[in-house]
Amino acid sequence: MSEELKTKVQDLIDTMINPAVAGHGGFVELIDVQENRVYLQMGGGCQGCGAADVTLKSGIERLIKDELPEVVEVLDTTDHASGSNPYYASGKA
Amino acid sequence: MDRLLLLLPTTTYRTGDFLAAARTLGVDIVCAAERPNTLETQLPDHFLTLDFADPDGAAAAVAAFSRTHALRAVVGVDDLTAVAAAAIAERLGLTSSGVAAVTTARDKYQMRQCLAAAGVPVPRFRRIALADDPFLAARGVAFPCVLKPLTLSASRGVIRANNIDQFMAAFRRIAALLARDDVTVSGDGAQFLLAEAYLPGIEVALEGLLIGGRLHTLALFDKPDPLEGPFFEETMYVTPSRLPGDVQARIREVSAAGCAALGLAEGPVHAELRINDAGPWVLEIAARSIGGLCSRTLRFGTGVTLEELILRHALGQPIASLDRERQAAGVMMIPIPRAGRLRAVDGVDAARAVEGIEDVTITAHREQELAPLPEGWQYLGFIFARGETPAAVEAALRDAHARLHFEIT
Repeated sequence: MSEELKTKVQDLIDTMINPAVAGHGGFVELIDVQENRVYLQMGGGCQGCGAADVTLKSGIERLIKDELPEVVEVLDTTDHASGSNPYYASGKA
Repeated sequence: MDRLLLLLPTTTYRTGDFLAAARTLGVDIVCAAERPNTLETQLPDHFLTLDFADPDGAAAAVAAFSRTHALRAVVGVDDLTAVAAAAIAERLGLTSSGVAAVTTARDKYQMRQCLAAAGVPVPRFRRIALADDPFLAARGVAFPCVLKPLTLSASRGVIRANNIDQFMAAFRRIAALLARDDVTVSGDGAQFLLAEAYLPGIEVALEGLLIGGRLHTLALFDKPDPLEGPFFEETMYVTPSRLPGDVQARIREVSAAGCAALGLAEGPVHAELRINDAGPWVLEIAARSIGGLCSRTLRFGTGVTLEELILRHALGQPIASLDRERQAAGVMMIPIPRAGRLRAVDGVDAARAVEGIEDVTITAHREQELAPLPEGWQYLGFIFARGETPAAVEAALRDAHARLHFEIT
């Protein structure tokens, strides 16, 4: 089941998500799918980006769950502190 | 399902915590930022781009959106979004303080005028046009004084001056800061600065939630590091306060009087006060919650976060408890020691190993160009601690900070 779901998630990343986040110099990699939880890593402009949480939880997770309702959650495994070129940088306030 | 509009600037630290709280409450979330999200085209029902500097325009855009997507609440997560959130709420009839009150609180000059008129203690102050000759402007000022922009937050651009030479240097430095491309100020905020009396004393921060015009104190933070200038970098916040009970009571009274004078009635407030022999003096009352990741020090009732409290209040959902947990807690906002590029960070594991340290979060990214105060606008990261006493928390934060090493060249 996980392998089949993994393939479907990968397909969504390739066809819907990465073409969109590429506009901000970013990309998303599928790390794993375990117990219907999708583990992703963000790179390029997404890594360390101030909008990464929004993009992941309100964007990517929603797109994946809309297409694959069996997905329970999408989790970010990115080391955002290592991002050297985030599209938006967080700050005070 | 209730729909919640969150105003989340792309620069805020608060996004993750507010999104997590919204998910806990099971509401449908619409995220608005000042620049488009990369997935906005795919998900137009869930992303909006709004100009937070134009509250009326933002309110009109959201009103149009809400015709097909009814909103139950709007929450601005920080200073940049406070007025726009109030304007949207007012237009849609949602829970919020009024636009006029939030606008007054956002402008340090208007705020002091309002507070002074109501008899709330504030330092002596004067607004000075940036177009004025700083030498002539300094002649009407008593020293030491503090110069600051009208609308920036987190001590950005706040400089102490002890004499005319320092006044003129600070004046020019703030003018240059406000002219920078990465500084978003407009109106009076771009044309004036504030000069006010420097008040000796200690500083505290009060975190509160206004419900129906009544201020509920959620936490009172001591700031153990002295803030005497020339810049006013905030580093450590520790709660509960170690001040005597009667002083704490007076701080709450003065803060509540300040909120009432400003007309703030609903939602989070973050107040900064100086305390000396004459009592508490209000430096700021902002219609927002605490900045950075500092809210992670706070838990209420059975572990509810500050963000969840704020959202519950805005959504009209029940709040079981406004009582903070019993343990002492604190945060260190890791200051940027010098300008340069961040090459490496060492000692994070050693810092995390200090007893009482809950987490160390480095938010600056490698190769990031760093600027310290007064021009800077970021932190290197945050250290969080919990313990039996405020003294233990403070010691843990200092120990953990000493174990961190930042290579900046």
